[in-house]
Amino acid sequence: MTIIVPSGTGNVYAGSGTIQHPSWSPYDENGGTCVAVSGNDYCVVASSNRLSTGFSILTRDESKIIKMSHKCVIATANCQADRKTLQKTLQTRHIMYMHNHGKPMSVAAMAQLVSNTLYYKRFFPYYTYNLVCGLDEEGKGAVYTYDPVGSYERTGYSCEGTGKDLIQPVLDNQLKASSPLVLPAENWMTALPMDDAVDLVKDAFVSAGERDIYTGDVVELLIITKDGVRTEHLDLKKD
Amino acid sequence: MFLTRSEYDRGVNTFSPEGRLFQVEYAIEAIKLGSTAIGVKTKTGTVLAVEKRVTSPLLEPTSVEKVAEVDEHIGVAMSGLTADARTLIDHARAETQSHRFTYNEPMPVESCTQAVCDLSLRFGEDDDDGGSGGGMSRPFGVALLVAGWDNGSAVLFHTDPSGTFYRCEAMAIGSGSEGAQTALKEGFRADLSLEEAEVLALSTLKQVMEEKVTSTNVDIASVAPSYHLYSPTEVQGVIGRL
Amino acid sequence: MLARPPSHSPALGPGCAGPPLAEASSVSIQYPAQPTAQVPTCGAASFLVDHNAVNAPGRDPSQHTQMPYVTGSSVLALTFKDGVMLASDTLGSYGSTKRYKSFERIRKVNDRTVLGASGELSDFQYIMNLLDELTTDDFCEDDGGMLSPREIWSYLCRVLYNRRNKQDPLWNSLVIGGIEHGKPFLGTVGMIGTHYTDDHIATGFGNMLARPLFREKHSPDMSEADAEALIHEALKVCYYRDKQSINKFQLAKITEAGVSVSEPFALPTRWDYKHFENPSANAVGTW
Repeated sequence: MTIIVPSGTGNVYAGSGTIQHPSWSPYDENGGTCVAVSGNDYCVVASSNRLSTGFSILTRDESKIIKMSHKCVIATANCQADRKTLQKTLQTRHIMYMHNHGKPMSVAAMAQLVSNTLYYKRFFPYYTYNLVCGLDEEGKGAVYTYDPVGSYERTGYSCEGTGKDLIQPVLDNQLKASSPLVLPAENWMTALPMDDAVDLVKDAFVSAGERDIYTGDVVELLIITKDGVRTEHLDLKKD
Repeated sequence: MFLTRSEYDRGVNTFSPEGRLFQVEYAIEAIKLGSTAIGVKTKTGTVLAVEKRVTSPLLEPTSVEKVAEVDEHIGVAMSGLTADARTLIDHARAETQSHRFTYNEPMPVESCTQAVCDLSLRFGEDDDDGGSGGGMSRPFGVALLVAGWDNGSAVLFHTDPSGTFYRCEAMAIGSGSEGAQTALKEGFRADLSLEEAEVLALSTLKQVMEEKVTSTNVDIASVAPSYHLYSPTEVQGVIGRL
Repeated sequence: MLARPPSHSPALGPGCAGPPLAEASSVSIQYPAQPTAQVPTCGAASFLVDHNAVNAPGRDPSQHTQMPYVTGSSVLALTFKDGVMLASDTLGSYGSTKRYKSFERIRKVNDRTVLGASGELSDFQYIMNLLDELTTDDFCEDDGGMLSPREIWSYLCRVLYNRRNKQDPLWNSLVIGGIEHGKPFLGTVGMIGTHYTDDHIATGFGNMLARPLFREKHSPDMSEADAEALIHEALKVCYYRDKQSINKFQLAKITEAGVSVSEPFALPTRWDYKHFENPSANAVGTW
């Protein structure tokens, strides 16, 4: 916001206080929370479907997850305009990849592509927080977590978006996976059975919905196993 | 040979009335003047064996390169105008590295072959269309055998100057290709071991070479599953098993 | 506690940053505003071109839209059983001045699509020119084909997003209503490219004033008459509370039968409610 303080003579608006111009930002914080938990043979991905700006709800049912293949999905929080553009771009890239190479992209390949795509806009970033999730080449659950300019790492579980501060510590506590910092390296994948993981994710969203005004309405869960992707919906409070 | 050869063999973009592109056919002919190269695929890897024509004792044999690494999992053997092959191999190397950069995975061998063939076809493009291959005056006069490793299995492709490629079990290109093909058909089995494939490739090469096979006038490479160019000692080892 | 200002202007809609309604800044504390008859001490300052900002020394005249000049307020829209309904007033405000009182902010795009706009009205006219070109192309094809509402919506999403990428936004919140495959379509896009579809949509203040009514009373299978009554009620609420609105509205309907945009009309209002006469009677300290 530009605030011009009148000074000296000749000012058309002298002595009248401040002039405030409407200004704009190319970014908007549209809220939303994404969670992903991977196990030995599954990956659970979930996001809230509320789209907000400021203290207003824009719509109550807009998915933040895009399904790229039977083994790979991407969940994206924050600036909706950037999210849509990023997801459309990635989908196009994925279709072209399938034409050129005759197979769907592996999660690892998609993870690298997402990183590059984000980094190519390093100086006018997509203001998005991404989770690339699915099953890796060995059939194990995979979650890749990003910052908006493309730094990424593979983790066992992750949470992004406005509910992150509420949910991430719960996952850290409940999943009881060993820290990636432990040496010698231990398996950091959670041993939790799939149904328990789904319940945990649902509980996490219900809890976040209590305090985070940007998380609510409905949660979309994508459960990825070797048999494909199953979608579930869970209603949250609409307040 | 070409009974209807006429002025239709000048431009690379002009079909003859019979529907032939003579310049491309001539380019394919150029390969038949080249040294022989042989590829044999097995379950555990692919062997490439090439003849090096060392025309003078004053020539340093290691400077004759007829087989090259494209990426860790792809190697090519060439026959024809080997200088043209440098352009294709450079292109293939750039494509495979670009693929690793973008997707953090080795490029599928077929995609790499397709990329090479796309470049081979650009002889027909205009100078000013912005394509990196634009302004090419003639087709590449070289054929390649592309050996690679794809997701746990060996593959072998054959490309020619027309931009066509085929997937092969075993293939020979170059001056001795006809004889070599016959020998390969007889000797090839799907359950060959890599060692047997080395012997089949080299013995076939030996049949069509005028000179005696030595560790300096042939090159052997394998992709099993990584590219490896055999040292003279290793080549000598294979010669010993013939 | 002062509310954190939302990242958009309540007057302009999603994605539009704007002045907060009442916010203490260090500058205004340093130079306390002098109340005069012309300058309110709270609420956004009246619009005025600041020549110092525009002609700052050593700076080329700005080529990008840095602020809106003539603006329109809310557009309201909802679906009903047989189609879609859009409504808005016909005001083009020049800051606080009611500058253009018969500006049609809802336009027909083709035989099954209507576009409504709030925000900078010259940008809206530019957008209509873009769409008219597309519609003319369709007409010249002469095969009866035309862009669907969703296609127009997608197109406008890209146009607005690409302009925000150039740091030169089209300062609008657009509402696209129409019918395709016999089903109502209703979508919106803001000045930075934020876009979504819903059964009911309202831009700007309408998102605060009208949408709660829509959420309470709207259902996708409501009749045309019920929908019209609801949108009239919402228009009236917006008119009562939105300073930058007038009692002159247009209503557009899109059904299988085609597109109709009504002549301007006024709604009956009354101003003798007790709370209107003495708004702060029961709420000490409120505005």
